[in-house]
Amino acid sequence: MAPIAPIPPTAIAHPADEPFAISIDSPDVAAPAPAPARPRICARMDLEFTYDADHGRTRLRSSHQEPPLKAVRAFAAADGAALLHLHNVSGGLLGGDQLSLNAKLGPGAMVQLTTTGATRIYRPRTEAPPATQTNEVTVGESAQLEYVPDPIIPYAGARFSQRTSIHLAAGAGLFWWEILSPGREAHGEVFQYACMEVRTDVTARGRPICSERVRLQPRQHDLSSAARMGNYRYWATFYVCRVGIEPSAWRALEDRVRERSAAFQPVGEARWGVSTLSSDGLVIRGMAHHGRDAYSGLLAFWRVAKQALYGQEPVLPRKVY
Amino acid sequence: MLIEPPSDRESLSHLQLLHLADSALPVGALAHSFGLESLTAEEILTTGNLESFLRAHIEEAGLLEAVFCRQAFRLASDARAAEKLPIEPWIALNFQLTARKPAREARTASATIGRTFLMAVNNLGDYPLLREALTAAKESGTGPHHSLAFGLASAILHLDENLAALSFVHQSVSSLVSACQRLLPLGQTAATRILWNVKPAMIACAEASASCAVDSAFCFLPMLDWGAMEHPALATRLFIS
Repeated sequence: MAPIAPIPPTAIAHPADEPFAISIDSPDVAAPAPAPARPRICARMDLEFTYDADHGRTRLRSSHQEPPLKAVRAFAAADGAALLHLHNVSGGLLGGDQLSLNAKLGPGAMVQLTTTGATRIYRPRTEAPPATQTNEVTVGESAQLEYVPDPIIPYAGARFSQRTSIHLAAGAGLFWWEILSPGREAHGEVFQYACMEVRTDVTARGRPICSERVRLQPRQHDLSSAARMGNYRYWATFYVCRVGIEPSAWRALEDRVRERSAAFQPVGEARWGVSTLSSDGLVIRGMAHHGRDAYSGLLAFWRVAKQALYGQEPVLPRKVY
Repeated sequence: MLIEPPSDRESLSHLQLLHLADSALPVGALAHSFGLESLTAEEILTTGNLESFLRAHIEEAGLLEAVFCRQAFRLASDARAAEKLPIEPWIALNFQLTARKPAREARTASATIGRTFLMAVNNLGDYPLLREALTAAKESGTGPHHSLAFGLASAILHLDENLAALSFVHQSVSSLVSACQRLLPLGQTAATRILWNVKPAMIACAEASASCAVDSAFCFLPMLDWGAMEHPALATRLFIS
């Protein structure tokens, strides 16, 4: 395995919450004296994985990491996959941060990416642009990517924009979830962020199979509307794809996931929906009162889908769920 | 001050637009609830919150569809002069909108209504561009989605883009209100009042769509998505979606 480039010392320390920051929608709060513009972080992480047929396992062939982004290292999972923890050593994103992840999986590679903790989106300075995260992912022929991160936690006043492009080759598989929390609940911050934008595109053999464009602005658009989240707080999306599977098999999996989701819904703690995509996959959407309910659903659906598509049990990241 | 009477051409355009956006146009729209049936079955959507529900719907899904309606309109406007529909952009638009619809039944409904709509308009006159659009969509296996079909037909008929987008939003909401009259204890008078009240929101939506790029047409309606995704699981169903 190629050695991971050493990480230079992080030059910019991220405080837990920027001092003097105020919400962009709080004109009644006395504005502090303008602070000097904080240097913006523009950091990139490039990861390339290949399948080592001689040893029957996936290796991290090359990696480029710029602080505060850091990949801990690729562990060999029990199923031969490479397990990598993505880490933001600064603890989260501040206004103006521009982070990007480029991941390439060669033919046959199996990779599980997870995070070492929640992605925190800090309250920005008033004049700061939104924090941005760009993900560019290529999954080669018959490769398989599992992206199972911790939730995104937007602080009060946070502004964040994420753009993800996932390209799936013939036979490529994908298990990709994301969880958006309402904020720092224990701190009394529920839906107090300013703006969260998520753009996600998945293509299979060059054809778009799902495209998501969501913008949540709790102060402009009532999230408790019966058309939006009602009284739920967490929102989760889980894409399950394997290119080349027949539509009838996806319909069958849709039914199985729906049956499984019925087990979660009667108690009213979460609400799950599932649908086949136009081809090559399905999407599972959920809303939950608590993060633990979102997790329990996602883990259950991951098991059902992985078993149906690969005849295997997923290898869960070593975490407390 | 005297108001200039509209020309025959303008009057005809207005009438044609009213016709195309009429819920009585036989395109099958009344057979779909787009997930509302599940929401009413779970008592998430009620007579009491219907108006606010529709406002959210207009802000999100209304904007999305209006943006795509305008895209098709502009595509066909350019094609009118050349008398040839640019097939690749037309198909690409349909694939893009297909990808934006996560729920299978609602996605299929949009394409089915769009196809029936184009066939209905094509039967009203000789429109080679419409025939090309239908054939291309059939061969590609996607669409033609209703909003795209509406925008395309409106441009081919020389109708006004802004009015076309607005009319599409209006007929979409009218269809939902009509579905709710069959799903909820919602009388004709109350339904009419709700539809009347949300017209300013429709105008704002259509205006916003004029300068909104496809990439910025956001839509966040997770509860409606849930309703549309779980509609196949309903034991008793009045609607196809």
